[in-house]
Amino acid sequence: MVTLRQMASMVIVFLMGSSSLFLLAGKAERDAWMAVALGVVAGFAVISLVTLQIQRLEPSLNLMEIFKLYFGKIIGFVIGFIYVLYFMYKCTRNVREFADLSIMFLLSDTPLSVLMLLICLIGCYAVMGGPAVFFRMAEVLLPILLLIYFLIYILLIGTGTVDLGRLLPLLEKGFKPVWDAAIPEIISFPFGEMVLFLMFWRYVQSSNFNEVIQMTLKGYLFAGAFITVMNVVIIASLGPLAGWSTVPLLQATTFVALGDVFERFDPFIALLFFTAVYIKLTAYYLGASLALAYLLGISLRIAAIPVGIGIYAGSFWFKSYMHQVNVGFEQNIKYQFPIFQMVIPVLLLIVMLLRSGVRSSSKQGQQSQPVSEDSHHAN
Amino acid sequence: MPTDKHAGHSGKEGSPGSGQTIQAEQVLLPDLDSNLERLHRFLGGGEDIVCRTLEHRSFNRTRYALLYIDGIVDGVAISTMLLGLLEDANASYTETEGAGEPNLYRHLTERSIAIGKLSDVNTIEQAGYAMLEGCSVLLVDGCLRAIVMDTTGGETRAVEEPSSQTVIRGPKEGFTENLRTNTSLIRRIIKSPDLRFEYKMIGRQTRTNVAVVYLEGIAEREVINEVHRRLDKIDIDGVLESGYIEEFIQDRAFTPFPLLQNTERPDAACGALLEGQVVIMVSGTPFSLIAPVTFAKFFQSSEDYYQRYDIATFLRIIRMTSFFISMLLPSLYIAITTFHQEMLPTSLLISLAAQREGIPFPALLEAFLMEITFEILREAGVRMPRIIGPAISIVGALVLGQAAVQAGIISAAMVIVVSFTAIASFVIPAVNMGIAARLIRFVLMILAGTFGLFGIMSGLMLLLAHLCGLRSFGKPYMMPFSPFVASNMKDVLIRVPWWAMRKRPTNIASDSNKFREGAGQKPRPDQEGA
Repeated sequence: MVTLRQMASMVIVFLMGSSSLFLLAGKAERDAWMAVALGVVAGFAVISLVTLQIQRLEPSLNLMEIFKLYFGKIIGFVIGFIYVLYFMYKCTRNVREFADLSIMFLLSDTPLSVLMLLICLIGCYAVMGGPAVFFRMAEVLLPILLLIYFLIYILLIGTGTVDLGRLLPLLEKGFKPVWDAAIPEIISFPFGEMVLFLMFWRYVQSSNFNEVIQMTLKGYLFAGAFITVMNVVIIASLGPLAGWSTVPLLQATTFVALGDVFERFDPFIALLFFTAVYIKLTAYYLGASLALAYLLGISLRIAAIPVGIGIYAGSFWFKSYMHQVNVGFEQNIKYQFPIFQMVIPVLLLIVMLLRSGVRSSSKQGQQSQPVSEDSHHAN
Repeated sequence: MPTDKHAGHSGKEGSPGSGQTIQAEQVLLPDLDSNLERLHRFLGGGEDIVCRTLEHRSFNRTRYALLYIDGIVDGVAISTMLLGLLEDANASYTETEGAGEPNLYRHLTERSIAIGKLSDVNTIEQAGYAMLEGCSVLLVDGCLRAIVMDTTGGETRAVEEPSSQTVIRGPKEGFTENLRTNTSLIRRIIKSPDLRFEYKMIGRQTRTNVAVVYLEGIAEREVINEVHRRLDKIDIDGVLESGYIEEFIQDRAFTPFPLLQNTERPDAACGALLEGQVVIMVSGTPFSLIAPVTFAKFFQSSEDYYQRYDIATFLRIIRMTSFFISMLLPSLYIAITTFHQEMLPTSLLISLAAQREGIPFPALLEAFLMEITFEILREAGVRMPRIIGPAISIVGALVLGQAAVQAGIISAAMVIVVSFTAIASFVIPAVNMGIAARLIRFVLMILAGTFGLFGIMSGLMLLLAHLCGLRSFGKPYMMPFSPFVASNMKDVLIRVPWWAMRKRPTNIASDSNKFREGAGQKPRPDQEGA
């Protein structure tokens, strides 16, 4: 079972995930960090008012069960299956990102297909362990990741790479570009992705769902602050160059040289980013597998196999890294992802509020469940 | 030996016990000769079975016989007892009214036998098994019961300094092969009435005594029950070492990591008991098992608690680092020299390149050659007769190391890497954790040789997923890290002073009894008016 702390760690690592690879809200140029901060606030509203509310009404069900309960068997199944595909698609993007960047920065001669296979396999291994194991991984990794980020920032500041003057002047072109960059892009990447946690929250071991809400929001705000700081660091170290760089933070660390000994440690930094990306892609992989396992009534270990194969095959669809980034930032973030992250959840929440009769009957059915679960994870 | 057994044990002994067809137990008959004959037949004869028949001067000259197996009994105890018996046999008791069979039996048990612990049995099997344990049996003619006397003893190794887990400061006693000695070592350290020893017998043929030791009220009840349940399920011919039991009771079969700790130090076992763990002691081996255990426990040495906390913290960090060096260094060397040369400082890169110039093998193969050579040397060091030790070191160090470099087969840097790795692997206090690191090292080397740093990271992620999934008697293996337990972190990467570790490790010890020391014991110089 998952503890509150593990859940919060997962929220943080998940949101850090691939967002450390990009300069978010690059269109707002040197005001990008304000756009990110705005996105954090807007995302906070979405999560606390929609996503968490859905789970609060049905604390012991996952998204698939909620769909089935409120939309009926057939529509619920169809929507659920679409969500499986959405999770798989998100995972596919991360796998491809991971593999492409590995080729770019670490292994220039290794075939893409081999790398993606390896990534899918290590993802699959973690998924087979189930949510409890996976959330523990996030809890172990988070302090290590934060420590290394902290060291990077110290190094960047210590070597004089960070120059806060590059952030000035603030709001040179007014507030509009900031707003445009933030809404809806920043909400849907990365903050709106929290919709995935509708598959996970029910595994959290807690007597009171308000604790879960609190810890989630705390984790969310921490991650939001973290990403904003990262954005500031990127812009302050690279200036206008940040917008063109493939992986801006990695670019920034190449400026760091300690004496003549530590000149190029960017491969280590790349690994650090990939760790977070790995957690993120595995989270999607796990979410899709859990959903499929529930929809088809099979065990998680069996569901992980078709989902894994689907993700591996899907990763070949993008023609190149640029194609993948382009599809993501130009189309998905604006048109497709908001449907899954906001439109359907809002609809669902409205239906849930209207059909409160269904809920109360289901509540009674679950009266005994928390008790049995408590005894289950006593050891 | 735990002798409370022969009396209460009949249930298990006759039952599937010997794995042959279940036979009805043979009840003792009134006739002494037939009893003796059947007991001999049960034990299969043999020169070491001693049978001494006596005849009492009083009690209608009733005959009785003393039996024991030579070599596993305490010779002094036997001769003292025999002396007493003979003296008694020659005395004439006139005051005894109605001389008869029950009276001689009572007379012997109450007035004559100079042995502390006696018990009754009434079948041939019970008597025979008691003798196999090292007890002596006294059969009285016309009596349906036999007296079992605890004369367990014989030659055993003395308590010596542990050979595999040495300390500079701390007790020098180690467990021996004798279970009774081992339990006494524990009893002498923890003089608490809450200390519990629960005995079991495992092994159809070896009938090995196993003791489950814990502190009532500190160990968690569920864990104790689980230990008993898993031990009871074991059905095997023989248990020669605690390793046999370990493989049966660990939570997951396929893992390189040890899911139970072993120790041959009584102080380490007592430390575990005081933290709420359960110790499983097996007769015939000095290595006791400790359960449940977490990953971090394998980096603690009992010496950590005897030395000052700052030194202990430093040493613990050294150990953790050594674990990672022993696991990762060769693969990092392979990955960086093969795939990421740009990470090296230019001067080092040039010198490495110069060294590797004439080397015919890729770094991966080179590393494999050296690592396997070293593993062979190490194994040879363990197996070879002590006398030829110096020869092996000369061959190993000079011929294999230096000559291989001079011949241009291996680069000097690789020799340094491999030697450093090897030395680092000896730092880990728990040998079985060191072996896990050695096994993983080879997998990581292959990954590093094919995928560079990416491969190493993939391997580490797999390892983390594996570790996070492990449990030891239901306790998560990565415990203080995940699930995170703040108070347990005081004794993991660092060790805080004793007065700051008020709580027993939460989640391992029972929840009802959390504190092991009083509050506010931090030394304050001014208070005592110094």
